[in-house]
Amino acid sequence: MRALPVAEPGVPDLRSPTRLLVRVASLQRRTIVLGWLYGTVWMSTQAVTPYVVGRTIDDGVATGRVGSLLAWCGVLAGLGVLQGAVGVLRHRAAVLNYLQASYLLTQWAARQAVRLGASLPARTSPGAVANAVATDSVSVARLMDVQARGFGAVVALVIVAVLLLVADPLLGVVVLVGVPLFTVGLGPLLRPLHARQSRQRAELGTLTGLGADTVQGLRVLRGIGGEEAFVARFVHQSQAVRTAGLAVARTQSLLDAAQVLIPGTVVAAVTWVGARAVIDGRLTVGQLVAVFGYAAFLRTPLRTLLEMLDKATRAHVAAGRVIALLATEPLVTDAGRRSDGPPGDLVDPVSGLVVQASLLTAVVCDRPTAGTALLDRLARYTADDDADEDDARSATIGGVRLTDLPLAEVRRRVHLLDNAPVLFSGRLDEEVGGSARTVSEALKAACAQDVVDALPDGVATVLGERARTLSGGQRQRLALARALAQHSEVLLLDEPTSAVDAHTEAAVAGRLSAARQGRTTLMATTSPLLLETADAVHLLVDGRVVASGDHRALLGDEAYRAIVVRGQVPA
Amino acid sequence: MTNVSATSTAPPPPNTPSPNTPLPDTTLPIAGTREVRARARRLAHDRPRQVGLVVGLYLLAAVAGLVAPRLVGTLVDDLGAGTTTGRVDTVVLVLLAAVLLQTVLTRVSRLLSFRLGEDVFAELREEFLIDVVALPLSTVEAAGSGDLLTRMTADVDTLARTVRDAVPEVVVAGLTTVLTVVAAFLAGPLVALAALVAVPVAGLSTRWYLKRAPQAYLAERATFAGITAGITETAEGARSIEALGRQRLRVQHTQDDLARNFVAERRTLRLRCLWFPWIDLTFALPLVGVLLLGGFLVRGGHATLGEVTAVALYVQQLVDPLDRLLSWLDEIQIGAASLARLVGVGDVPPDRVPSDDEPADQRLVARDVHFSYVPGREVLSGLDLAVRPGERLAVVGPSGAGKSTLTRLLAGVNGPDRGRVDLGGVPLVDLPLERLRLEVALVTQEHHVFVGSVADNLLLARPGSDLAQLRTALDAVDALGWVDALADGLDTLVGSGGLALSAPQAQQLSLARLVLADPHTLVLDEATSLLDPTAARHLERSLAAVLRGRTVVAVAHRLHTGQDADRVAVVESGRVTELGTHDELLARGGSYASLWLAWQTP
Repeated sequence: MRALPVAEPGVPDLRSPTRLLVRVASLQRRTIVLGWLYGTVWMSTQAVTPYVVGRTIDDGVATGRVGSLLAWCGVLAGLGVLQGAVGVLRHRAAVLNYLQASYLLTQWAARQAVRLGASLPARTSPGAVANAVATDSVSVARLMDVQARGFGAVVALVIVAVLLLVADPLLGVVVLVGVPLFTVGLGPLLRPLHARQSRQRAELGTLTGLGADTVQGLRVLRGIGGEEAFVARFVHQSQAVRTAGLAVARTQSLLDAAQVLIPGTVVAAVTWVGARAVIDGRLTVGQLVAVFGYAAFLRTPLRTLLEMLDKATRAHVAAGRVIALLATEPLVTDAGRRSDGPPGDLVDPVSGLVVQASLLTAVVCDRPTAGTALLDRLARYTADDDADEDDARSATIGGVRLTDLPLAEVRRRVHLLDNAPVLFSGRLDEEVGGSARTVSEALKAACAQDVVDALPDGVATVLGERARTLSGGQRQRLALARALAQHSEVLLLDEPTSAVDAHTEAAVAGRLSAARQGRTTLMATTSPLLLETADAVHLLVDGRVVASGDHRALLGDEAYRAIVVRGQVPA
Repeated sequence: MTNVSATSTAPPPPNTPSPNTPLPDTTLPIAGTREVRARARRLAHDRPRQVGLVVGLYLLAAVAGLVAPRLVGTLVDDLGAGTTTGRVDTVVLVLLAAVLLQTVLTRVSRLLSFRLGEDVFAELREEFLIDVVALPLSTVEAAGSGDLLTRMTADVDTLARTVRDAVPEVVVAGLTTVLTVVAAFLAGPLVALAALVAVPVAGLSTRWYLKRAPQAYLAERATFAGITAGITETAEGARSIEALGRQRLRVQHTQDDLARNFVAERRTLRLRCLWFPWIDLTFALPLVGVLLLGGFLVRGGHATLGEVTAVALYVQQLVDPLDRLLSWLDEIQIGAASLARLVGVGDVPPDRVPSDDEPADQRLVARDVHFSYVPGREVLSGLDLAVRPGERLAVVGPSGAGKSTLTRLLAGVNGPDRGRVDLGGVPLVDLPLERLRLEVALVTQEHHVFVGSVADNLLLARPGSDLAQLRTALDAVDALGWVDALADGLDTLVGSGGLALSAPQAQQLSLARLVLADPHTLVLDEATSLLDPTAARHLERSLAAVLRGRTVVAVAHRLHTGQDADRVAVVESGRVTELGTHDELLARGGSYASLWLAWQTP
């Protein structure tokens, strides 16, 4: 068995849901064809079993000839063994079909998520990406699983039709009319069933959401009370799920009943026509039993076809959602061609800020959002329509516009540590990144060594999802270490010490400037401890630089004092 | 698989009780097999009529489905003996009547059974939530939200499948199987004996399979959950990934998750591939056996052709229910595992046994307090602190000194390992929870905006508060301005799925709740840390005005809190090392003074 997933998932066809499904299938055509083959043999052995049973009864049981009896029983046993063997192969192919499709979609979703990068929250949502994997890929995969059996089902239907027509044309007609009737008869029930099922799923989703909300806020809740209200809210929604479930039950039970009624009627009709044919001498008793067997067997391929219809509908809807996700474009276009930009000052024409190369610069903003917007411009995270309408608005580095550089080049040279960095699960040293020496130096510079020391396996400790077991301050210092370990030409920091205590902040302030010695660093901060260490400080009011100097010099400025001075009542 | 809101929002990262002490792997209890069985039995016992009716109807439906082969069998014998078309018509009419009866019975039994399933599922999940909100806070803190969240989402989902589908399928298929075998024996006792060859084959192979399957399937589900979790992490951290240039690493991460899932999938596939052939044999063997034995019996005149036919048809008819029965059995086991995890939450022992002692006054005193989360790593070691009623006490000190832990003990969340933390002479942990909340409340930097309106978010602290009280509370935390600016004001929907509030706003709501709850002692652990310094200071002052006369213990890394406070306690290495007013401590020239000088510039 080939190991999955494949290294390169291939290119999705985003022109329409059907085309996407066809592309998925064609990327795994080998298994698909094998599935058809096994599915056909598997269904066919089942389809001819009634025939063999009929012959056994006619030639073996009714006549009392031991030789025929043994021979036909041998054939029947052989069929059983064949069916078992092919059944395993068929199942294997079906599972592989399922997995290949689901992996493929997952790989596409993952690649799209990293392609969107910083644009992801604006363009779509993490929930949409997760759903593409958890729900949509499963829907498509289920179609790939069932289609092999569906193919076999069609072949089996043809075989049974031929056998019936040969045995008795009238019987053939009864079955050939009865079969479509079965399928068509159930069709009208499927749509309302789907609608009700999706409503119930939505209600259950809301309920799980409420449950998750309660769990996540449980510490708050347990601290301050209000449990009754949450239980009441949950019970209310829980009953809504139940009501929606009852609506599903009404349709579902009708469908179940119809699945008894329609084939049952076909069986009765076949028995009636067949028994009369026996009286007329056109049919043997064994053939009647065979006909009865066919009619009973037909439920299997019919149910399979119905299942395929159901899954195809769902897969089509899912494929539409997947296309919506995969067709999303990032906010920032990567059209820059120049790759020879020299190092130099970083300039933001919008605010008039000049960040001198090789220095540690700080910017103090009247509003925290202004600092964030400034850093976004300087690191080119701002959407094109904001930055590009006028090229003069683009920030420059060493005199070269950031928009003229390839995005990857900008990211490599200018690293921005935003105010909500995400730490990823995995080994701590791998998360910080770089050689053992880089990691240890970065951890020291970010005053995060004590965080590591307290962990059971030091830097080799595996952190959980988003490092949630650590405190906010600990996470902030690890993220700072990770940013420092990048050794980027320019480092931009948005309130890098907002979550750490004053003792630690003082230590970080000292080590940060040493660690970035000789390289360009800009921090947006209001912390006097950090400002003290900066070579140059700029004050931004209403988005423009209004004063520059160093911390001590700027303390003479009323507006500046109001923002940074902590020891006295703000003006 | 439904996945709606569990992954769509990034909840605020919870704070761990002790920042510097990694927590031991605390998992919530899982109920034992006996307890799960007892719970399942109780579910049935609680609604005997409903269960009886459903099972009765299923039985009747199954019986109606068994009429056809028997009729065809008699028809075969009649045809052999020579019969009329009239006789055929009658038999077919009876057959048709049986089909109609089975149809009606199926409809009614399925409907009632679905209803039963919905009732049971609703009861289980509601009971689970009641258990969850009753968990002791220390347990919740220690276990983290991950385990509970999985139980709330994944296990409830699994159980839905079990209760709604697996249990009815297994019951129906089981009943049908048994009845079909009975019918076969009634139709031709001797012939039917041959069908029994299947029993050991099916029994042994299924036993082998069921012993291994649940474990393998749970592993498979875990790896699938790993894929979704990994993708969610990638999507939530997409900006950090771009900034760090780690696109390839994250794609590889997904690749590894998929590879892990493939290994697990392959294991379950192997189990099925080893089991399925035996099941196919189970289906094929009895038919061959019945025809073979039947042939000889008919030859010897011990059975009729009709009997052989009927039994052969019954045996063929067994395939479907048997198949369903076997394929749903492992789902029952997996469902039982989920049920065990839900029921297990109810097994957490209460963390306090309230006594009847009444606090004599509002004096909060810690005496020689020792505390550790992990044995051998003491966080507080012999701490003494007497909080004066009505004072504002600031707690400062380096990271990991035990400040947060101290607040937890002062708020009665945890009890000391040694020593005492008393309120009016009564240990805090001896107070009933409802009572404790009226006395002391704790707000940490952890915050959570609940799904609902802004008003809902406040009301949970004091249900029944009127609009004026809500507005006063918001005003006290400087939040009235932005709340009024929201589209629907206090009725604006917030939290997951609603308007996303910023971290500072969420923190303000937490504090507004505290104002509403109005205990006489408030413990604040970095409760304004997410606001910008100017706003934080303004908030603290307006809060102080509202809380005049209340006792406030506040941990803060912004030292102006100390300047504004009546007294300052410096905590270092699990002890209070300095205690006094801001000016006294400055005059003393100790570690507070040096810290202040470093922090306060110029």
